[in-house]
Amino acid sequence: MSYARRALIVAWKDLVVERRSKETLNALLFFSLALLFVFQFTLGPDRERLAAVLPGVLWLGFILSGVLGLGRTFLVERDNDCWEALLLAPGDKSAVYVGKLAASLALMLVVEAIVLALFTLFFNVDLWPVLPGLALVIVLGTLGIAAVGALFAAMTAQVRTRELLFPVLLLPVLVPVLLGTVKATEALLLREPLTSVAHWWQLLVAADVVYVVVGLLTFDVILEG
Amino acid sequence: MPDNWGFVAAAYGLAAVVFGGYWRRLVRKERELTALRADRANRSRPPSGTAHPRPDAGWRAPLQ
Amino acid sequence: MVTVLGWLAALAIVVGLATGFGMAPREVTQGNVQRIMYLHVPAVWVAYLAFTVGFVASVVYLARRREAADRLAHAACEVGTVFLGVNIATGAIWGKPTWGTWWTWDARLTSVAVVFVMFLAYLLLRQAVEDRERGARYAAVLAIVAALNIPLVHFSVYWWRTLHQPPSLLKPGASAMPPIILAALLVNFGALAILGAYFIARRARVLAGEAEAMA
Repeated sequence: MSYARRALIVAWKDLVVERRSKETLNALLFFSLALLFVFQFTLGPDRERLAAVLPGVLWLGFILSGVLGLGRTFLVERDNDCWEALLLAPGDKSAVYVGKLAASLALMLVVEAIVLALFTLFFNVDLWPVLPGLALVIVLGTLGIAAVGALFAAMTAQVRTRELLFPVLLLPVLVPVLLGTVKATEALLLREPLTSVAHWWQLLVAADVVYVVVGLLTFDVILEG
Repeated sequence: MPDNWGFVAAAYGLAAVVFGGYWRRLVRKERELTALRADRANRSRPPSGTAHPRPDAGWRAPLQ
Repeated sequence: MVTVLGWLAALAIVVGLATGFGMAPREVTQGNVQRIMYLHVPAVWVAYLAFTVGFVASVVYLARRREAADRLAHAACEVGTVFLGVNIATGAIWGKPTWGTWWTWDARLTSVAVVFVMFLAYLLLRQAVEDRERGARYAAVLAIVAALNIPLVHFSVYWWRTLHQPPSLLKPGASAMPPIILAALLVNFGALAILGAYFIARRARVLAGEAEAMA
């Protein structure tokens, strides 16, 4: 069975499971909505202040729901006694990583798209003119989050303190991604030319490359036992 | 600008405390390990002066 | 061997202190509080050197699965974190009289703080995984991710701080460094590096002892 096919099977399995139960999707959506309200209440009704912190608030929401969703990526296998099946999977196990990454990415993008739509509604922002650029930033940023997240999720799946350890491992590592995406989003919302934030794009791409390559190379090691 | 020797002392003092503390931690761990090793070595040797004297040893000694 | 290193470290520290307080002159703008630099800057250099050792040892461990490499990685990352902590704390103590505040989100402090938290997480991971072999594998992967992330952290934080703000903050020990100050700095770096090496060696030895005890 080819590498791509194995990766696709893993991704498809995750997405089908998710489509049937909608467990994670619903939880993430409601979590993001709850965050939206909390932000509104804690930051106050001042429109200008909200507009200024909007990029940060948006990505905070994305990262926090990412932490929640990604932390559960391998729970399906762990809880259903399928962990050994993963360990015994033939061939290069990084195919499993690609599959998990793809599925997580798809799930997160769906949640983020909905959250983004709600944000524009609640905070009354006009995103249409910058949508292509914004979509690109969101894809690049989410790829980074999912790439590290899938790796660390496999690492912490069997650890007793998983729920605490996973965010503690993930968040500091994701600081560059957080900074890059917030700055790029900020520039886009302020209608600045994309060239002025070229370095942030480059940073996001570099980070994504590093994280995915390390993930591909080391996932085998994580799934050894 | 004033010299702020208090801050200099605080900085070097803090470093001394941290490095010293780390060193003490290493020493303590080593001591625990040696104690553990000694403990194990003692346990593997047959204990002297038990409550049940072995008849053989008692009988043979006077002939030496 | 380790004991020799220890005595060497003690000697080097004395020399370092003598250089920092005796040989180095009183700084013109800041006064004698600038002498904290002879501790603060070498500490971060030694920390990053330790993390590099940890990175290489982790790669070697994953490639060869030699226990000694894992113990070296663990020791190096732990010692690096200690030195980085000293760097951050002394940075704050230096900042208070010179910048007027214990903490600012200046590029260097912030990026060092992020790296510090990353490797604290490494230590947490090592504690959390009970199986020794699995812990070694996981920690090695994390050390590799964390080490490769260091330049990304530095660039992102630096751009975050300086591109919309003129670099007006008084950088401790910046611009042209008179040779005598540089010399004192390098001597202290040598001293702390020997201390770091001693700590790593001793820590690795303790880890070896613990592994033997578990066997």
